[in-house]
Amino acid sequence: MPRIEKYKKVIILGSGPIVIGQACEFDYSGTQACKALVSEGLEVILVNSNPATIMTDPDIASRVYIEPLEKEFLEKIIAIEKPDAIIPTLGGQTALNLGLELDRTGILKKYNVEMIGATPEIIKSAEDREIFNQLLRQVGAKHTRSQMVREFKQGLQVAEEIGFPIILRPNYTLGGGGGGVAFSKEEYEGMLARALGESPTSEVLVEESILGWKEYELEVMRDSSGTFVVICSIENFDPCGVHTGDSITIAPQQTLSESEYQDMRDEARKILDAVGLECGGANIQFAVDPKTKKRVVIEMNPRVSRSSALASKATGFPIAKIAALLAIGYQLDEIQNDITKSTPSCYEPALDYVVTKIPRFAFEKFIGSKDELSTQMKSVGEVMSIGRTFKESFQKALCSQEFADGFTEVEFDKAMLSSPSSQRLYQVAQAFREGLELSEVERLTMINTWFLEQVRDIIVTEQKIAQNELSPELLLEAKRCGFSDIRVAQLKGTDSQSIRSLRKKEGILPGYLQVDTCAGEFASETPYFYSTYWSEPVAIPASDKRIVIIGSGPNRIGQGIEFDYCCVRGVKQLQKMGYEVVMINSNPETVSTDYDTSDQLYFEPLNTERVLDVLDVVNPKGVVLQLGGQTPLSLVHDLVAAGIPVLGSSMETIDIAEDRSRFSKVCEGIGFEVPVSGLASDARQASSCAELIGYPLICRPSYVLGGRRMEVIENQEELARYFSKYAADISPSTPCFMDQFLEGALEIDVDVVRGKDWSLIGGVIEHIEAAGVHSGDSMGVIPPQRLPSDLLQEIEKNCLALAEKLDVIGHLNVQLAVKDDHLYIIEANPRCSRTVPFLAKAANVPLVDLGIQAMMGVAATDLDLALYDWRKMNVVCVKGVVFPFKKFPEADSILGPEMKSTGESMGRGSDYSEALMKAFISSKVKLPENGEVFLSLREKDKKVLLPVAQNLVDLGFTLSGTSGTASFLYENGVDCIPVKKVHEGRPHCVDRIRSGRVDLVINTTSGREALEASFSIRRSCTDFAVPCITEDHAAEALMLAMNKKKSGLFEVYPLQQ
Amino acid sequence: MTQGYLVLESGGIFKGNWLVGENAVGEVVFNTSHNGYEEIATDPSYYGQIMVMCAPQQGNYGVDKSFWESRSLWIRGFIALDIQRSPENSQWLDRLSENGVPAIDGLDTRKLVLALREGGTQVGAMVSATSAEQAKEKSVSLINQFKEQGNKDWANEVTRKEAQRVQGAKGSGPKVAVLDFGCKENILRELIKRTSEVMVYPARTSASEILKWNPDGVLLSNGPGDPENVEVAVDTIKELLGQKPIFGICMGHQLLGRALGGKTFKLKFGHRGANHPIKDLQSGEVFMTSQNHGYAIDQDSLSGNVEVTHRNLNDKTVSGIRSLPDRCFSVQFHPESHPGPRDADALFDQFVELMQS
Repeated sequence: MPRIEKYKKVIILGSGPIVIGQACEFDYSGTQACKALVSEGLEVILVNSNPATIMTDPDIASRVYIEPLEKEFLEKIIAIEKPDAIIPTLGGQTALNLGLELDRTGILKKYNVEMIGATPEIIKSAEDREIFNQLLRQVGAKHTRSQMVREFKQGLQVAEEIGFPIILRPNYTLGGGGGGVAFSKEEYEGMLARALGESPTSEVLVEESILGWKEYELEVMRDSSGTFVVICSIENFDPCGVHTGDSITIAPQQTLSESEYQDMRDEARKILDAVGLECGGANIQFAVDPKTKKRVVIEMNPRVSRSSALASKATGFPIAKIAALLAIGYQLDEIQNDITKSTPSCYEPALDYVVTKIPRFAFEKFIGSKDELSTQMKSVGEVMSIGRTFKESFQKALCSQEFADGFTEVEFDKAMLSSPSSQRLYQVAQAFREGLELSEVERLTMINTWFLEQVRDIIVTEQKIAQNELSPELLLEAKRCGFSDIRVAQLKGTDSQSIRSLRKKEGILPGYLQVDTCAGEFASETPYFYSTYWSEPVAIPASDKRIVIIGSGPNRIGQGIEFDYCCVRGVKQLQKMGYEVVMINSNPETVSTDYDTSDQLYFEPLNTERVLDVLDVVNPKGVVLQLGGQTPLSLVHDLVAAGIPVLGSSMETIDIAEDRSRFSKVCEGIGFEVPVSGLASDARQASSCAELIGYPLICRPSYVLGGRRMEVIENQEELARYFSKYAADISPSTPCFMDQFLEGALEIDVDVVRGKDWSLIGGVIEHIEAAGVHSGDSMGVIPPQRLPSDLLQEIEKNCLALAEKLDVIGHLNVQLAVKDDHLYIIEANPRCSRTVPFLAKAANVPLVDLGIQAMMGVAATDLDLALYDWRKMNVVCVKGVVFPFKKFPEADSILGPEMKSTGESMGRGSDYSEALMKAFISSKVKLPENGEVFLSLREKDKKVLLPVAQNLVDLGFTLSGTSGTASFLYENGVDCIPVKKVHEGRPHCVDRIRSGRVDLVINTTSGREALEASFSIRRSCTDFAVPCITEDHAAEALMLAMNKKKSGLFEVYPLQQ
Repeated sequence: MTQGYLVLESGGIFKGNWLVGENAVGEVVFNTSHNGYEEIATDPSYYGQIMVMCAPQQGNYGVDKSFWESRSLWIRGFIALDIQRSPENSQWLDRLSENGVPAIDGLDTRKLVLALREGGTQVGAMVSATSAEQAKEKSVSLINQFKEQGNKDWANEVTRKEAQRVQGAKGSGPKVAVLDFGCKENILRELIKRTSEVMVYPARTSASEILKWNPDGVLLSNGPGDPENVEVAVDTIKELLGQKPIFGICMGHQLLGRALGGKTFKLKFGHRGANHPIKDLQSGEVFMTSQNHGYAIDQDSLSGNVEVTHRNLNDKTVSGIRSLPDRCFSVQFHPESHPGPRDADALFDQFVELMQS
């Protein structure tokens, strides 16, 4: 049965800002689906609020709406576009929930829009635990003993019946949000309350624990004629108890016997049929008791997912693309296998390699949060690697994380073996170094014997390397086992360069094998490669048109999807210019690692060794380092030393930008001032430093991350107190950073592109929060709303001058602060920045394309630069930010110089208030329409925020506040109920927030003590999803947005007009 | 570690680690199944063959006698990139060793598979040697000896020597005769579930012998080698045609095709794996199948009442035929799985229905 002709126009829902549990894998799947449907001649309308994605590029879909993924906005879009169908299965849980809501509220029916990919009934039967468990029983599948809890008391009873440990799973949340494992009654009570609050339906499944069981996942597809295929089996290294997103996973599964595997496959098929999924992709998770072999079904997702992205990269089977084609009526046997180009898509990929995924965490960003892994996902990104054996694949994956060179030696802490954490892996290896028996490690970790044997083998080989002369045979053995040159060098007490030289001398070089979906059975043309030392190198035909782009590696806070956007856009631009583009990257979630994005894809760790190995083979004309964030840029020295031609800005330019004193010199005479700073290792040094800097200044110990112990120091006395208080943290080896504090300054982000005889401003973004908040965490607006036009002109002029003086070729991102008409430069990065995709979409300036043209030496005469004028933009765009504080219950949500946000949103409007409103909504900041606002304001903000308070009253809110704030407001004619501070006794303000009486909190503070005192206010807001504004400008912005929302006068605008 | 070599008749030579067993020779074939090494090694269809596993890590989950598909291991040798051998578990290697099957790992199996894909199935020798030259020397005579044996009726080598009666699980079910050309145990298990009695006959049993027992139907089993070399069976089948419902699997399918007047030919490198898509041309259904064959029926040679019922969607070869007037049907793939998907097991029900209709 071929395509269903009645679908001519479809809406695809994206997944919104990147959050933990929903990252760029949905950009990958959505982009694939859009491209597939557009090439089928359908009109594709894409809705996503995340501007950092490739899918929201105007080239991907027929029309793109960067609008909030909320019902009222979708209704407007549907009314304008009148689509035939909507696909909610490609944008994660966000899209699925939104699809359900559109159905439930009758909007789909009203506009006669069909839901395709999955129906509401199917979504419900897979997502609703009670219905799903009933279906499981129908098909004879087992599930864990569990009960749905709808209220606290009932939950306590259920726990008694089931017994501890107990798993909590709130219904309809993404990434298992609000869930966890409770080992005791006390723990359980706290978690249950949180979980009930987290579930949009206030339902929590309380479940028997299967801790320690083996965990599996099957990625499956089905077409409407019933053809069923397993795309990939995945086995978790970590046993049950760790969220699968936080687990190290291996594909294909390694430890099930044939009959066990087929039993699982049969069951998956039955479940899919029972749920009624007519066509599309799904994943089903299983747990298997290693002793009794009893198998239970954990859950099913009737949509593409993080694992399906991984499975697509692991096998070469483009699940999302095929799912989209199936949704419009195709059958699997009617779709060609893209990779072989000779066989159909109805097959189960056969792998002749092993794939490892390791998640990447960010605990260090959230001071106070515990590095503990449980059923609630905490990782912010992941790496994937491919090797011929588990050992090779696994050690490559370790290197792909970009902070380890393999199984780094650690101080052994046996206690760490028995509780899952991001560091346990290294302890497992260390345990074998310490001589622990495998059986003991297995008992403590509950990790399967086979995996432990593999790790032990690696350590055995490690010891062999350390103890023996490094013969060519031994070196080859080490490389086949996945050891990096650096690790071998460490073990031999030499440097990695000499290992590299030895390898080259002995001809120990990696071969590059194809990911071909069929284990070599059919010839395949698709150039998707991985390195292995189990095969000999094969020469690749030379080309003088070959350019390499190095990607950005795993998503992490501060370096995420926006850089993948830059890379992908860069590939396309180079291809347009006639180049053959090679992509190197290690992140399976991305569009850049889709095999059809570039001309050749190498799935490799982004370290010097692996990158140089690839470059040796592909022998490019040049390498682009500016698109993938800091990761590729940090390779510049090694690449230049190896004689690799780096395109664009020279190493010298990059070095100057990073060297504070050289950079300060460059800025002299341009009109930028550099904030004064210094380092002090004791109080005496500090006071001479302070004389130079002047007050106020910021102090922070250098080794403490995340802005902790950072304080604003107003005078000599405070400085002395600070240094005596933190004497233990400050020493010559860990000095204290001291920076001039630009209090109340306005921060500005500028992106510049410079070619050999031209340069251009991509746009100027004005931050909404004052200086001191990391630029990635600050909301921003373009065009600037507060910056006087003469200053704006000066900024543009100076930035272009800076680019010239630095001799930038390609991208330059400049961060500035404006205070009292002085322009301070905070930093400049000679590369694509986080704001590039945002700017490209806001101001319609194709910055990456221009950057590539700059790097490739295109002259001004060959460009129509007049086309690209950001000042001509006729909309206002606000960048919203999203934070993961909910996932880190012990961490503070106050913003500082360390970036903490995981994602961004874009609000586009005809004016500032409309854009702000959309940005807040897209960032999941609820804009309350009535109720109570609690205010706790520091002295200097009271006056500033008086109009805001008045405005809130006018909007119909009641106000409450701490005694100082309340009496100030009262004195100024605004009614405000006084509430006790936490230390003033109960019931206090936090009780009030936790009781659900407060709908919005405005809490501005300064000074360490006040910050600590107000921690519980912010935390309770995070826990109860009450918007909490901590800065005066943000409060004003929120007011604007609330007024707009109340007016109800807002529209939606496609990107292409 | 001792060096082990695989030398192909075309001259290709691959070096790895010699793990267990004695030098051996056979037809070198590759299999893309991830799992099921023990089922594969005990499947008589692999008689005379050196098995190269595409999936790199083998032996991971140990062994289990209940996985056996016949009374012994039939493969001539076992090759994979990495064969499990740890203090905790080297069961698979031990089993190969106990059964005299040599094993090599650590050789570039990907390169070998591509060589077989490009050069076609061919004879090769597994030898332990100290150098490539020595390996070549040792191989030449082995390969020549093997080729000199000529085209042999391999089915007759692996079949039961005497008829064997098996009690069925279903008292009211039909009686089925099985012609054993190298029958997999799971075919019998599937039949036992559905029948009252199963009689397994040696490959060269005559039609009259079978008819004497008066079965309700005849199953033609899988088996090794070239269907052209199988003696007696085609005549037996011709005689049974029309008298009894017949269901053929793999070799049984090829022999049925020949009995119906068709021809068979050798595929370049065969189909061996667990992921081959088959389309049922009647229902339009597509399912994943387990396959293990080096020969296929030539579509153009079929005529008369013979219809093609199934097709392999990868290379469009004939994967199933039937003749309604003769009440017979057969498939090239393995509905009994082991290893591989069980999606086609309904074919056994279809056979029972045919016998009962």
